[in-house]
Amino acid sequence: MPKYKIADVVFEAKLLYGYTEKLCKSYEYSGDQPCAFTAVMTEEDIQAENNDATQEFPAAYLESLALFRKLLNYALKYSDGIVFHSSAIMVDGNAYLFTAPSGTGKSTHARLWREMLGDKAVMINDDKPIVRWVDGAFYVYGTPWNGKHRLDTNCRAKIKAICKISQAKENTIRRASTAEMLLTVLNQTIRPTEADVMDKLLKMIEKLLTTVDLYCLGCNISREAAELSYKTMSGEEL
Amino acid sequence: MKIKDGFILREVAGNFIVVAVGNAVKDFNGVITLNEVGAFLWKKLEGGATEEDLVDALLSEYEVEKDVAEADVKKFVDKLVGAGLVK
Repeated sequence: MPKYKIADVVFEAKLLYGYTEKLCKSYEYSGDQPCAFTAVMTEEDIQAENNDATQEFPAAYLESLALFRKLLNYALKYSDGIVFHSSAIMVDGNAYLFTAPSGTGKSTHARLWREMLGDKAVMINDDKPIVRWVDGAFYVYGTPWNGKHRLDTNCRAKIKAICKISQAKENTIRRASTAEMLLTVLNQTIRPTEADVMDKLLKMIEKLLTTVDLYCLGCNISREAAELSYKTMSGEEL
Repeated sequence: MKIKDGFILREVAGNFIVVAVGNAVKDFNGVITLNEVGAFLWKKLEGGATEEDLVDALLSEYEVEKDVAEADVKKFVDKLVGAGLVK
């Protein structure tokens, strides 16, 4: 049974299809840390992910989503971890999370940062990174669930800022309030159904919103937009 | 009137929200934001207050004219009924 280490959680997975094993390849673990849990995939788990009435997805793909859900269930209950649907990028050891509804341009903005900063910018994850509270700080971790451009790195970085993106003709950036960011974060994570786990999630989100810097960015697709967001959030010159 | 089981009010970083848990998630999968007055009325409804109770509660807690309080309560209750959050 393959063992994985994702977001510093070691687990083993009994998979039914080859796709997920391939997807998680770079997160395979051969060390001697004990497994936190075993994910035994069933057809029932897999079909539970098939909740889009307009499309049929292959079971092998759905299995990868089911595994992600099992990992998140464990992470939230036992290790202060949540998924935060975003493009997470690391520069000089600091992580920046761009969030927005699908199709707004968070991946595009992260790409503009990479074009501007070159090797200094490392893509942690372009879709579903995991955010964890570890030893008094928030870290973002790469995961294999990395979006359509398949961008992720098996690493972690301390989160400096979360930035909500909207499309605009002119580029502007300002600090965001916790009220503005709360719904965004709640809508970009997977919410549990158990009341006690929901309270864990909400406590963690509260801590996240009051710990890291929050920004709203209105932007077009240009280098100027990337310069504005990078300089403002990092406090660095190019 | 009473809030249905499974809808919980929580304060997160000074902001009031309502989310569904348990079986209620099947009926409602979103998040509702409430201001301070909305949260105040919600708590009264958790205890099974009538519309009149809500108006009285508003009048004793806030400096507000009776007709304004009545209109506000009606608007609030209509929203909750429309969203299927009360029984």
